Amino acid sequence: MKLFLCVLFSFLVISNTLADDKYEKAMKKNLSKMDTTNSAEGFVEIANGFERIALAEKDKWLPYYYVSFCYTLASYSEKVNAAKDVFLDKAFSFLKISDSLQADNSEVYTLFGMIAQARMQVDPMNRWMKYGAEADKNFTKAVKLDTLNPRPEYLIGTGLFYTPEQFGGGPVTAKPVLEKSLDKFNKFVPASDIAPNWGRKNLEGMLEQINKKG
Amino acid sequence: MKLLFTLFISLLCSVSILSQTKISGTIKDKSNQPLPGANIFIKDSYDGVSSSVDGTFTFTSEEEGEAILVASFVGYKTFEQKLLLDGKPQTVDIVLEEETTELGAVTVSAGSFEASDEKKAVILRPLDIVTTGADADIYSTLETLPGAQQIGESEGLFVRGGSAAESKTIVDEMIVQKPFYTGVPDVPSRGRFSPFLFKGTIFSTGGYSAQYGQALSSVLILKTQDMPTQTVSSINLMALGFGGSHTQVWDNSSLSAEAGYYNLDPYFQIQKQRVDWVKAPESFEGSMNFRYKTSETGMLKAFTSYSYGDLSLNVENLDQPDLRDFFRMKGGNYFLNTNYREIFDQDWVFFSGYSFSYDFDDMDIAPNRIKLRETLNTGKVTITRNVSSNLFLTGGGEVQNIIYQDVFNELEGKLNEVYLAGFLESDIIITNDIALRLGVRGERSKLLDKINVAPRISLAYRLGTFDQLNFAYGQFYQTPAKDFLMWTRDFDFEKATHYIVNYQYIGTGRTFRIEAYYKDYSQLAKGNVFTHPYFNLPDVEFNNGGKGYAKGIDIFWKDNETFRYGYYWLSYTYLDTKREYLNYPTLAAPPFSTPHTFSAVFKYWLNDITTNVGITYSFATGRPYFNPNNPVFLGDKAKNYHNLSLNFSYITSIFNNFTVVFFSIDNVIGYNNVYGYRYSSDGTKKSPVLAPALRTAFIGMFISLGQTNPF
Repeated sequence: MKLFLCVLFSFLVISNTLADDKYEKAMKKNLSKMDTTNSAEGFVEIANGFERIALAEKDKWLPYYYVSFCYTLASYSEKVNAAKDVFLDKAFSFLKISDSLQADNSEVYTLFGMIAQARMQVDPMNRWMKYGAEADKNFTKAVKLDTLNPRPEYLIGTGLFYTPEQFGGGPVTAKPVLEKSLDKFNKFVPASDIAPNWGRKNLEGMLEQINKKG
Repeated sequence: MKLLFTLFISLLCSVSILSQTKISGTIKDKSNQPLPGANIFIKDSYDGVSSSVDGTFTFTSEEEGEAILVASFVGYKTFEQKLLLDGKPQTVDIVLEEETTELGAVTVSAGSFEASDEKKAVILRPLDIVTTGADADIYSTLETLPGAQQIGESEGLFVRGGSAAESKTIVDEMIVQKPFYTGVPDVPSRGRFSPFLFKGTIFSTGGYSAQYGQALSSVLILKTQDMPTQTVSSINLMALGFGGSHTQVWDNSSLSAEAGYYNLDPYFQIQKQRVDWVKAPESFEGSMNFRYKTSETGMLKAFTSYSYGDLSLNVENLDQPDLRDFFRMKGGNYFLNTNYREIFDQDWVFFSGYSFSYDFDDMDIAPNRIKLRETLNTGKVTITRNVSSNLFLTGGGEVQNIIYQDVFNELEGKLNEVYLAGFLESDIIITNDIALRLGVRGERSKLLDKINVAPRISLAYRLGTFDQLNFAYGQFYQTPAKDFLMWTRDFDFEKATHYIVNYQYIGTGRTFRIEAYYKDYSQLAKGNVFTHPYFNLPDVEFNNGGKGYAKGIDIFWKDNETFRYGYYWLSYTYLDTKREYLNYPTLAAPPFSTPHTFSAVFKYWLNDITTNVGITYSFATGRPYFNPNNPVFLGDKAKNYHNLSLNFSYITSIFNNFTVVFFSIDNVIGYNNVYGYRYSSDGTKKSPVLAPALRTAFIGMFISLGQTNPF
């Protein structure tokens, strides 16, 4: 009997690991698709994949986080302003769930800031006051929660990079912020294979552009 | 043991025997259009797929037995269906129903222009208000919308044949007794509130909700900002004065304070004025704004302000050309508005508010001395219940206590009015395409000792994703002006009935609206009052027999699409109105009305010089004026009105502080507008009513300390 229980127990452990395996495999499969698309439709399709995982694994924050991330990227690829807002609404609602599952996570607040940045870009003249401040607030919190996370500075720098010089932005202002981010990227070790680990390539692209001009 | 063994075996089986079921089908919307990119999956599993461009999908699931197939797509209601997964291929054809999202949803909107940063499908943004016209005043922006008249010589909104007294301003659900600084004859005064205070504005030109009363023509509903997001200080330097503000933000609360001092004297030295100022307007104002987040969904707001002003001038006396009448006005206003809003159990919204205002004006109109005192206490409670996703009920009540004290030399008049109102309103979404708002409002005035019951109905019918038809009907009541009630209280409420038909298209970049209306006035107060405007006319006894009508067409077009860095709007108003009230001997078109009004507003962002340019052109046909020599009452018409104004907002930074330099000129072309004429008592001499200066210019600089850039 004892033996049998042992067998049963080990079996349960194995099936659990199998399940975790299945989760990681599915997550990785979706993550690997991220680089293959640039279109809103493509990002929505990957978001759909993450959403299926999220709804089956209701206690994990990462799938929700990635659904949100995909919809944010979809908003950047979308051309119709009204549709951008619809994507960002969806991104925001999924990130709220992620935040409730994993409180005070630097990556989550980075993404909250990124969504605010994206909202602002839909209609900068009317929205900078509200969403500019909101992005700022979230990035500041993200840095505070994890000083090693390179992504808040990457996004702050990106914002500055695309802001006209007259408004206190431009490549010169962005450079030190982006360099700080690169420094952090060099030291950054993601928590797992499926933990957030994006941004480096774009960052290097921007720095290259700045250095070429400078 | 046997049991455990069975359990073990069955557990094993469930893992090892993996049968697969193929599920395929199509996904479309109600009009049979395929929906590409929808998410179709088996609930609580990873199995699923996104639909392809033609709306088809195919996937296999390793689940077994009873399962739920889910289909979801942005903007549509989630679809669920039970399936039995037994290895046999299955075909499912899914039709998704549209969710009532903001864009393309049917909304009750007859007679209203909304500026909001919360809602996506609105006609105007709050910024539109700040950057229109020459003076960044809420009210002068509203004059560029159809339905409102271009009135250059006095303050107030004149909407669809209604006088200024028929339009009311509502801040956070409560009526504001004095939304303007007290005016001087022939000089319009500004609105009391800065456009920056508000996150949303609804300008209703008719047929509005049962939640509001005491306005025969129009209500302007202003919603104040919620919690500010950052601590910031600013300095404002203007040719007319200076001011500063500070906002402090804590975790759950914020406090802003603002103060300003204005003196028009230096400006008047440079810019020649037609008005003979003895003392140019000098004023002080200060305000405080407190926000406290009581919970995730609850908010307490308090706003208080104080203003004081002093001015004097000499006014031409037509009866004695060698004499000029001295006029002095000093006065002030104290205002408090505090309110609390909370959502309970997701479906109950509770609002309560209290507002107090005290207004004092002391006038010397040689040789007369006039003192006006006005105190208003008002409270309002509203409860909204979200009964289902298709039915909202709103009910509530308000009470107002208004005390007027007028002193005219030794004569003193005092009125103490208690006004009570209750309302009930339901918003019903009958189908995805039809929305109905049914409301009723009951009011009681203590002074009149009368009650009224006013029904209101609005209907919206959606024709397509972006366009809809709207209808509205409503009865509106208003207590006659205090000038009548000082003499006798033998009056009933004044009444207007509105009928409105409207077609509107709100696409992603372009908006078109056309609205036709008919307004029937009855029970208007008649009689000679202190302010009666027309002399040489037979006396009229006090009575409630005034009447009139207004009918017309309003057209509005806004285009955000054509210009990459700019947009424009055009509005046209046709108005046919006549009324008999005050001491009018007959039905006549009132002096604040004209048949044709046109406005064009164009805004452009010049990226290279980081400057926003706004151009506003307004045109109106000449308005009627009273000529005692003309046997036809109000039979003369002034010449047509033209105005072109420009404004520039240059955005820069000064010592790393974000700065906006604002410059504007009113009446650039220098067109000499004549609003009407004033006559001497014997009718032999006349003098034109003109703007205080041919052109006006404004320059100011607004510096946000410590904020380097807006992004």
